[in-house]
Amino acid sequence: MSDELIQIETPFAFNEENQREFDELIERYPIKEAAMLPTLHLAQRQAGYITPAVMKYVAEQLDVTVMKVKDVVTFYPMFFEEPVGEYVIRVCHTLPCALRDCKVVLEHLKAKLDTDIASETNLAKGTTADGKFTLMKVECLASCDVAPVIMINDDLYKNLTPEKVDEILETLTG
Amino acid sequence: MVEEKRILYEHLDVPDINTFDVFRQYDGYKRFEKAIAEYQPDDIAKMVMDSGLKGRGGAGFSTGLKWSFVPRDIKPCYLCCNADESEPGTFSNRYVLEKNPHLLIEGILICCYAMGIETTYVYIRGEFTLGKKMLDAAIKEAYEKGYLGKDVCGTGLNIDIYTHPGAGAYICGEETGLIESLEGKRGQPRNKPPFPAVEGVFSKPTVVQNVETLCNLPFIVGNGVEWYTQMGPTYGDTRFDPPKPDPNTGTKLYCISGDVNEPGVYELELGLTCSELIEVAGGLRGEEVKAVIPGGSSAPILTHYELDTRLDFTSLTLAKSMLGSGGIIVMNETRNIVDCLLNIMKFYAHESCGQCTPCRWGTPWVRDIVQRIADGGGRPDTITRPKFGVTESGRWGDTGETEEIYEDLDLLESVANNIANVDTMTWNTICVFGIAVSWPAVSYMRKFRPEFEAAIREGKLVTLPVAEATVPPEENYAYQQRFIPKELESE
Repeated sequence: MSDELIQIETPFAFNEENQREFDELIERYPIKEAAMLPTLHLAQRQAGYITPAVMKYVAEQLDVTVMKVKDVVTFYPMFFEEPVGEYVIRVCHTLPCALRDCKVVLEHLKAKLDTDIASETNLAKGTTADGKFTLMKVECLASCDVAPVIMINDDLYKNLTPEKVDEILETLTG
Repeated sequence: MVEEKRILYEHLDVPDINTFDVFRQYDGYKRFEKAIAEYQPDDIAKMVMDSGLKGRGGAGFSTGLKWSFVPRDIKPCYLCCNADESEPGTFSNRYVLEKNPHLLIEGILICCYAMGIETTYVYIRGEFTLGKKMLDAAIKEAYEKGYLGKDVCGTGLNIDIYTHPGAGAYICGEETGLIESLEGKRGQPRNKPPFPAVEGVFSKPTVVQNVETLCNLPFIVGNGVEWYTQMGPTYGDTRFDPPKPDPNTGTKLYCISGDVNEPGVYELELGLTCSELIEVAGGLRGEEVKAVIPGGSSAPILTHYELDTRLDFTSLTLAKSMLGSGGIIVMNETRNIVDCLLNIMKFYAHESCGQCTPCRWGTPWVRDIVQRIADGGGRPDTITRPKFGVTESGRWGDTGETEEIYEDLDLLESVANNIANVDTMTWNTICVFGIAVSWPAVSYMRKFRPEFEAAIREGKLVTLPVAEATVPPEENYAYQQRFIPKELESE
């Protein structure tokens, strides 16, 4: 296999702050491997998404094979293997939100951002051209009393209407 | 009208209840102090057994009984608190984590003391970033005040609590899936036995409890078993002589959403009826109740004939449904049941972990059949099949008659029943996810069959009036109760 086929990326390593957090994490479990999910969360926060280099680094840190890390990353929907926008918009579309017209919110977001909905295997499809937003549908966000809801990065937005969505997007785009 | 009985949620709206000092003003940690001062660990376990507390996470298994399975001589033993609240329609744990995290810590402390546990992992779903932040802050405070860490309150106990974030997989709410995920693997459930109580996380005995169950413990210890058992009905299982007591004690955080005027969490004594709960939640939004999902999307649906069903563990099991996690979703007359089933089946097809073949292939297949019917492409051919139902002997079986059924509806029932058979309650999968798929699929189809038939006949979704859409309960196995409950006289 020629070298061109094996894309060598920039290697990944935790920054100082994350390294400290990781050292704390690893103390919590009797086996290193158990720190897999929090470590991957930490790495994703730093790198933006889980690149092969991140997987390699995490595998080394936890004394497991890279395949094992890949195995975990592919199972959980919250880990991305492709670049995503600065703001990840998760729109809940499970029954309680569907009963409260989440479709209207979703269509409005689609039109407003001029993008499609990302699928798990194709995140680029739901990312805006400027790389600012990624729009995706997710299952129940456990806030059915204030449906319809969306989550943008770590924040939950409740009782949405198209007008509220406009306001939120305005504050984000500044 | 039924009044709310706030116990777990009593101080939820007090400003700054998430801080140690305010929580302390409202009896915070005093129940734990009472536990260590007045009771031996075994006394606490006995109190929990006597209180009749049932696990609030979904299965409704007796907490005291679960604890009794844990071998006391194998150490370390772990506690996993299940805060991976992902069942559609459930949102009560979120408020506990975000607003009153110290209550959960106190519950964990009491459980740790009773079971001799030193390490607790709180598995919080990845999307609960605020909840995790609040709990982490509360844990930090508890360490500072000496309620966690080495030598808790001068008793010589060492108790640590760690939070562990999930990453968006529904199946990690299943206890063995949670354990696998906690060990850093894919969250694929394990075969049982061995049960987690014997061999759980890191191959050590593990107690897995829901947030709400643990939050009940301070009140059982603080106010006593007698106070606790006065709340909620105790039934007698009449298959035994004398009837075996079946307690449904305490309160439940009912999460109500969908077509009601004031959706939210209502803490009420177990045992109120479905229509009473709708009334508490500000009444129905719309003209008529078409259907109610009583325990999260996995639970079989209830029709307008069943609105007087009491919402407790026993009554709902008898009604061939379940209380589950207490997520009640109400649908009014404008809703189309085929459309609702499609939404739920999309959820399950997405969330199947892929471990067992019947579930991995069956869930998308069921979804595709429902999608086809909803899109108007349901196959109009009918087939004649033996009619199953209640036979003369009173058991489920071949009645000797035949019935005409649309091919697609027969296929839907057949595929769902091959993932998990809802009549015999056997599943061809490792975990109960299988039954969580078949239960809605088969119950919606059987109870609202006219609406499915109309969709196939007309080639499009047709929303029928409630009375026409629902199959009446007479002679319909979908409704049949296994035995008739009898409420025990309170002694």
